[in-house]
Amino acid sequence: MAIKRYHYARDVEEALSLLLAYEGRGALVAGGVDVARGLPGEIEGLIDITAAGLSGISREGGRLVVGATATLEGIRTSREVKAYMGGFLSEVMGHVATLSLRNMATLGGAVVSAHPWADIPTALIALGAEAVWRNEERTERAPVEELYARPFRAIFRRAVLTEIRLPAWDGAFAFEKLSRNAGDIALVNCACGLGLDAEGKIAWARVAVGATPYRAERLVAVEELLAGEVPSEALWEEAGHRAAAEARVGDDMRASAEWRRAVIPVIVRRALERAGRAVMGDR
Amino acid sequence: MMKIYFELNGEPVYTEIKPGEMLLDLLRRLGMKSVKEGCRTGECGACTVLLDGKPIRSCLTFAAKAKGHRITTLEGLGTPEDPHPLQEAFLEAGAVQCGFCTPGMILVAYHLLSHNPDPSPDEVRAAISGNLCRCTGYVKIVDAVLTAARWKREGKWRKER
Repeated sequence: MAIKRYHYARDVEEALSLLLAYEGRGALVAGGVDVARGLPGEIEGLIDITAAGLSGISREGGRLVVGATATLEGIRTSREVKAYMGGFLSEVMGHVATLSLRNMATLGGAVVSAHPWADIPTALIALGAEAVWRNEERTERAPVEELYARPFRAIFRRAVLTEIRLPAWDGAFAFEKLSRNAGDIALVNCACGLGLDAEGKIAWARVAVGATPYRAERLVAVEELLAGEVPSEALWEEAGHRAAAEARVGDDMRASAEWRRAVIPVIVRRALERAGRAVMGDR
Repeated sequence: MMKIYFELNGEPVYTEIKPGEMLLDLLRRLGMKSVKEGCRTGECGACTVLLDGKPIRSCLTFAAKAKGHRITTLEGLGTPEDPHPLQEAFLEAGAVQCGFCTPGMILVAYHLLSHNPDPSPDEVRAAISGNLCRCTGYVKIVDAVLTAARWKREGKWRKER
């Protein structure tokens, strides 16, 4: 590692101007977990943004706004986060890594690193989370799902991710993950959300599956299958099988595509069951 | 090179570091040999230290991040002449074999007991779940933490540094 300077940015403007001045030879550091593990050789300057005022967590109406440098453990234990969507996001954070890594790793880091095996992108895509970032010209925003369809790594070489905005949903979400042990990364994960209309039929559904081993994707066909239906065990079962048919799965050192296709119905069914129980309990 | 100030085990430190240096390497250079290099990928927990009282992985933490903060290593809890009750509990329970994981285990246990003096065995297991032991298994480690917790509740932790 040929790091020549370590900067402590006092605000977003300073972080951005330093990043641009390095012209590709600088890297932003929040928790530093991913930077430390995989720093490209050309990086000469590290720009620490943990004191740049991006660690806040707040509620805006039913929405939740999380600063890019809020730590995963800070999010997990936040009162605001526990009050958002029945504590769904807090529960997801409990599945991610272990305490001493969650004390370092940040939500912004998880969004920017976008590891295909990670749990957080799956949850954020299901929630319809929006990323907000500052570049040389302006503040930009896009749903995380859309961001991943763009050359986001290039975007964040010349921009500072500032916050993640999570919309309010009238309904409930649940997260499921299969892994070899509690601290390990997912073999496959999913996040599902449901809302009911006045007649008790499903008004909206959100279904995202990740670590397949590809980055999380929404399964719109499954969402459409659920919408307008009355919740039932048979419906969750059918949605699970549809999810397995729709999801893009592959082999990696951890699991085969065949195995992933066999277990997706189970985790999708479990997530829908839990979300369904939570949303019906609300009534 | 750059200079940083931080607090190490209650003592002020003003030292030169390399800008890309890891906290693990800085602490060992400063003589804190309880801080172990296991995997250097954040998997094993042998390099655990406390930053402002919270456990972190020093192998993935830039040394520059210590600037202005409090770092606690096992050396800050006890010495061979004057061991911390957690260290005594580990000895009494036989929770040490090769000892490589022990500093990290004790620091996460110390953090647990600092906010939960009466943990259940499951809470202890959850607290040490990010720290790998490759010798003995975890039964005696859990026993040791539960013993130290009982001593703490009984007022037998004579002093806190």
